[in-house]
Amino acid sequence: MEPTETPTQRAPAAALFAALVFVPVLFFSSVIAGREISRLYALAWALFAGGIAYAIAATGRVSSWRRVFFSTSALAFLVHFKLGLAGKAFDPTCFKDTPYCHIAMAPYFLNYLYQQYLALMSAGWKLWGPLTLGAVWLFVTLALGRGWCSWACFYGGIDDGLAALPRRPLLRLGSWALRLRDLPAALLIFFMLVSLASMLPVFCLWFCPFKVTGTFLDAGGWQRTAQHALLYSALAALLLGPLLTKKRIFCSYLCPFAAWQAFWGRLNPFRVTLDPALCTGCVKCARACPMTAISCAPGGRPEVSAYCNLCGECLEACPGAGFKYTLFGLELPKTAGFFKDLFTAKFFYVFSALTLGAAFSSLWAPAALRDIVHWVR
Amino acid sequence: MPALFSEGFLLGLSTGFYCLAACLPLLAPYLLAEGKAAWKFNFAIFLQFLGGRFAAYMLFALLASLAGKAGRYALPAQLLPACMAACGLLMVFLAAARVSAGGAPCLLKKDLSPWFKRLPLALGFVTGINVCPPFAAGFIRLLEMADIPKGFAYFGGFFGATSLFIAPVLLGTPWLGRRANEIGRLTLLLAGLWYSFLGLKGLLVN
Repeated sequence: MEPTETPTQRAPAAALFAALVFVPVLFFSSVIAGREISRLYALAWALFAGGIAYAIAATGRVSSWRRVFFSTSALAFLVHFKLGLAGKAFDPTCFKDTPYCHIAMAPYFLNYLYQQYLALMSAGWKLWGPLTLGAVWLFVTLALGRGWCSWACFYGGIDDGLAALPRRPLLRLGSWALRLRDLPAALLIFFMLVSLASMLPVFCLWFCPFKVTGTFLDAGGWQRTAQHALLYSALAALLLGPLLTKKRIFCSYLCPFAAWQAFWGRLNPFRVTLDPALCTGCVKCARACPMTAISCAPGGRPEVSAYCNLCGECLEACPGAGFKYTLFGLELPKTAGFFKDLFTAKFFYVFSALTLGAAFSSLWAPAALRDIVHWVR
Repeated sequence: MPALFSEGFLLGLSTGFYCLAACLPLLAPYLLAEGKAAWKFNFAIFLQFLGGRFAAYMLFALLASLAGKAGRYALPAQLLPACMAACGLLMVFLAAARVSAGGAPCLLKKDLSPWFKRLPLALGFVTGINVCPPFAAGFIRLLEMADIPKGFAYFGGFFGATSLFIAPVLLGTPWLGRRANEIGRLTLLLAGLWYSFLGLKGLLVN
């Protein structure tokens, strides 16, 4: 939208955009959540997503409002799934509530190719079978790409929300931030290879920070101690890392799915692109990027790497408004009329990301709302 | 003798994928770390790796045949974890030493001779002495035969067939660049730490 317009002038287009997000989210949320709980909760979640869409369109600020949505979704995941699971430890019925974890897809891809192995088999296996999961992943990758990590992932929502809390970083990573940036790619290859060699879900057994409410399969005390140590290290990276550094430490340095999505995300057309004419070389964007995905190219100009997950933080940080959402680096041709404000790569991307993120979160967010209502009563 | 070679070859053909799965965590990170965008160079690494693996197989064929002759039908309990620990420590060494050549993070910043930085032969050897299930099956057959030349023929066939499964790893290497090398080194370090941990755990705890 035109930067000179006030939020009031943007209101009609923002309302239209909100409606465009609200309708599909309501549909998917009703279908997904409405199977087991009242559709009113699905309606509430769709209204929330629509409200976020309105706020983004009215203010023009993507990342701030994205974070509200993203962190709320992650908190809802903790409330419904993890807290619910804590009360059902060792109870076989907890499998009924287990969603399929998307992170488990990447490190066990070779196991899947070899023996159609799925690490986490939930009671919803008919929904989350290999083919449906593969099709959903392909669709998400084509529609959203790396944006998955900044709009839909429940780990990412925690990391992102916590990274926004401190006013300034207490701990600066310095040159190590970029030196270790390829660690997730190495971890991904490592997990793929050792999981295939041992025919075990090595990431889930040894590293998953959410396993803190789960159980360990291995009986050996020594091994379990080592697994606990790694688990709590990963948990610290997820919770303390962003609080200390203002960076998404788990997502940037440890998540194998982030590396997986950075690779396959190239299939997706959406990009964050810098207009060199508007760049003063202040590198505020690099400092603001929570994923350490912006580095200084020779000449002092910022360079956006494949690890960018299109969160939009650099768009808000750049004083010269040099960053833009584009389609393969290109902007859409300008149009006239009522829809002109929405006919941009930015709003196509936000629509795609927010709708998909909200639809995916329907697996737990409406149920979390139901849980909270029950607790309050 | 040809019949035994064929028997080993068929065992390798029928179980080769397990061999590939067991070898990949060692070979793939190494090729990724040390390979270049030149197929010949990578092929030379691969041949050295196979050479080391062949030496290990022949050594085991000899040991198994001798053990069979002596009527000992079990391996020492500490042998397997010791092999795994040796394998892991070598990988950590290769990763740490090679990583120091670039500006990447490393644990050991020593300027080592290139000879010590590139040791696919040794890596192939430690891969070979890490007993995987198909290898164990062949090993038992050798204990039973208790004949050194026959043992060589049997494991020669087994080696030839399993190498066919490992060879396609080379297909992805002509696109390797500097960044892939860095990722490969980190992977080699991680895999080395993993095998070191499992091996040392086997030695110290079990």
